[in-house]
Amino acid sequence: MEKVGIVGYYQVKLHSDANYGRYEMIFEAVRGAVDMAGLKKKDISTVISCTNDYYDGRTISNCFTVEVGGGYMADESKVEMDGAHAVLYGLMRILSGNHKLAVIWGGSMPSCFPYHSTRLFETDPTWERPLTYVNDITSAGFQMRSYMEKYGVSAEEIASIAVKNRKNAAKNPLALVEAQNSNIDVKEVLASDIYADPVTELMVAQPCDGVAALLLAPERQALKITDNPVWITGVGYSQEAYYLGDRNLYESKSMELAGKTAFESVGIKDPKSEIDVAELFEAYAHEELILSEALGLAEKGKGASINSEINGDISINPSGGATGGNPPCATGLIRIIEAAKQLRGEANGYQVKNAKKAIASGQVGMCAQNNILFVLEGGN
Amino acid sequence: MGRQVAIASAGFSEHASKRSDVNMAELVSEAVEDCLKNAPGVEFNDIDAFVNGNMPAFEGVNMPELWMTDWMGARNKPLLRVTTGGTTGGTVAIAGYYTVAANLPKIDTVLAIAFEQQSQGDTSVGLASVAYGEISILNTMGIPYDQLSRLLSAGAAIGVAAYQATNYMRKTKTTEEDLARVVVQNRHNAAKTWWTHLKMPNLTVEEVLDTPYISFPLRYGMVCPASDGACAMLFTTEEKAKDMCEIPVYVNGVASVANETAVLGYDGSGSGQIDPSDQLGAMKSAEIAYNQAGISFPRKEIDYAEVYSPFPNQELMWVEKLGLFEETTAPKMYKTGVTSLKGELPINCSGGVNATNAIGASAMERPAEAALQIMGKADNQVPKTVHTSIGHGWGGSLNLCTLMVMSDEPQRKWR
Amino acid sequence: MSENKVIVANKGMVRADFNFWVGQYLDKFFDNLENKKIVGNKCPKCDDVFVPPRKICGKCNVVIPLDQNWVELPDTGTLVNYTITPYRVNDRTDRKAKDLLLGMIHIDGSNTSIVYRLLNLEPSEVKIGMKVKIEWAEKTKGNPSDIKGFVKM
Repeated sequence: MEKVGIVGYYQVKLHSDANYGRYEMIFEAVRGAVDMAGLKKKDISTVISCTNDYYDGRTISNCFTVEVGGGYMADESKVEMDGAHAVLYGLMRILSGNHKLAVIWGGSMPSCFPYHSTRLFETDPTWERPLTYVNDITSAGFQMRSYMEKYGVSAEEIASIAVKNRKNAAKNPLALVEAQNSNIDVKEVLASDIYADPVTELMVAQPCDGVAALLLAPERQALKITDNPVWITGVGYSQEAYYLGDRNLYESKSMELAGKTAFESVGIKDPKSEIDVAELFEAYAHEELILSEALGLAEKGKGASINSEINGDISINPSGGATGGNPPCATGLIRIIEAAKQLRGEANGYQVKNAKKAIASGQVGMCAQNNILFVLEGGN
Repeated sequence: MGRQVAIASAGFSEHASKRSDVNMAELVSEAVEDCLKNAPGVEFNDIDAFVNGNMPAFEGVNMPELWMTDWMGARNKPLLRVTTGGTTGGTVAIAGYYTVAANLPKIDTVLAIAFEQQSQGDTSVGLASVAYGEISILNTMGIPYDQLSRLLSAGAAIGVAAYQATNYMRKTKTTEEDLARVVVQNRHNAAKTWWTHLKMPNLTVEEVLDTPYISFPLRYGMVCPASDGACAMLFTTEEKAKDMCEIPVYVNGVASVANETAVLGYDGSGSGQIDPSDQLGAMKSAEIAYNQAGISFPRKEIDYAEVYSPFPNQELMWVEKLGLFEETTAPKMYKTGVTSLKGELPINCSGGVNATNAIGASAMERPAEAALQIMGKADNQVPKTVHTSIGHGWGGSLNLCTLMVMSDEPQRKWR
Repeated sequence: MSENKVIVANKGMVRADFNFWVGQYLDKFFDNLENKKIVGNKCPKCDDVFVPPRKICGKCNVVIPLDQNWVELPDTGTLVNYTITPYRVNDRTDRKAKDLLLGMIHIDGSNTSIVYRLLNLEPSEVKIGMKVKIEWAEKTKGNPSDIKGFVKM
């Protein structure tokens, strides 16, 4: 795969209830990314947006965002998954040779819609949905219990991931204020309200308002646009079975396959030692462990033994991850931006030393049914 | 960078106003089966990745591709979901093309699936919810809802399409009889294609004109139905296509250029698209796609076209905007048989959207049928040899468009 | 910024009804459920049994013919997972209420699990691996609520 350059990006500060309209937010993100690259509207060849009709409460959620997203008279399309999947589609458009600059943006405003209800709409309408027992909240509980039972991992070990991410978020000025807890400890996480036993509220990546955008260009153009491009060198994505009863919730088959494809294509044999930073979309603290193990960063069940602090064995979610704020349709895109920041040395306050290679992930579906993984490398 | 992409097969499910015998997942699996049946030798193991899309407002299911993983054969495979409203089928097909063109490791063959089961929901609610946000803003400014209907901002597709129709008719002197003629041709064609919805082989222009108006100039007899159905297309590399089918169809140009929203604009602010029959987005899409495909004279070089026209005025408008006929001449082309099955440039021999409209699938069914015509495998196959064809889609707030240009010769113009 | 901010709030309800065709496999399943019977179907290739029954086996990518491979299943099973949540989610809202105890139950003879309430049990009594049995609704209607929940055997 030829490498493709990330040449600009912008993330709006996350809020649980942003005091501005979505069009302003989208414009701020796309304009910010285009300005960072020093480019203009007319340079935009293609725009891929990521929104969800149910989250926006509007059919064809992309048709009214054409203007603010930079899509007017541009070759435009929309992905309805995580922002990271939209980056994949933008990547494909660049790799096809048809386009020289892709703008990818995504996000939503959960302060304006009932998030869990719209997640309920994902369930099988012929069997599960009438009873509402299977939803994103109960799925989280099943997943965490499955993981703990299978491998004997304790709630304390899982809670310490939430502690790490919340402390990291406190160093990230763009993270959600409610998630920035520099003085938090395991006891406080375990004592927080039950979400779906054994998951507690502070282990959950809370949905919040936010939009982010990034720009992709082919290698030759990227080198002209910026002195310090970040290269996407590999990608893998996969979707596993749907029904919770068909899956082993203590592992992530889709992340295993996504990681395998991505790592093989760039020749990474030992991700734990070859990768410096991992920005993973973890919807819950326990998911970070499950996903890390699926990527081979630790043996199955031993995710908690990795030193995943900033500058540890491998820094996982130095930005705070999704725990630092989970704007649906933007979260995975933000993980890619945060990984890019690390590789450019711009993650002030939470910079990993000598970050040369990074991975970033996005997901969609109950218990991360569909995962996507990118491998990124620093230019300099 | 990039590589040539070919279409090896296309398949459909039966379309009807109510496919009550299947749930959404089973409906999709029918199209998948039909597509694979038309490419004997291709098995599920040969499919490397999937693209899926529909217009989710119609069924009340969010991201249904998650639930129907197994029914598509997508378990443990890469899958991307693309949804863009009325153009969904076209954008899913285009995403299928890009997934192959990108030359990602281990992804050579892609199954693209688009579907809709409109009987499960309320079509008019689904359509109107395109603009609920904007409409409610106008309400707060003191404009009552019924007045909005008169402003033709409400009434969703029919309201704004009628406005588009009057603009087109004014510029081109098209008559209502011309509109009815398009409907008759489409529904006669649909009667000869197995998977379609409104098969009306004996329909006459008088019968169409004898129905009441919904919104001038559109009558009940002229508008498309709401259908349940699914469509699937198999995209692959040039090398693999040769083993999968006799006549591979090469995808030589794709574009989906967006325009500003018509009439309302975002946040009810008004927009640049005052005349929605201008369709700058479609014209630019045609320019880009024809350029990619190396087509300089579309009227001469394109042998067959499927354009997306739920309403007959749109068919006349599209064939002009896409460069197939000179502006204002389309009605004459329909009157003199140029666009009929045996004409010089047949249009919509499948019956088009006017005869079958499962909204999420319709914009894929256009390139699918256009590809089958090149392969010689369409149900209502035109007698002349089709070398180059186009499949077009339209939707959004009159501002989205998709175009796929296909040929039996690959276009090796790599950038 | 002006001191006197006028904010107009517009409240309205748009009603959208959805009715889902369940397909012929689930049709048969719900008919049996109404008679307080559980049926599944078996993949002709790998012999996996699905409850509720399905048209396609996801592992093998084969169609299970509608008129074949039906399997009668008992109303007993094993608890493989459980959770307790105070949240209720429905189509319009989520809210906190009294704790809801849910289990994932592997019906004997099948190869998948289903999610239902665990009845007459304190959370402390729940053990993964315990044997459970269906408690049927008093009046069955041919829909998922015919299974009221599962109780300890």
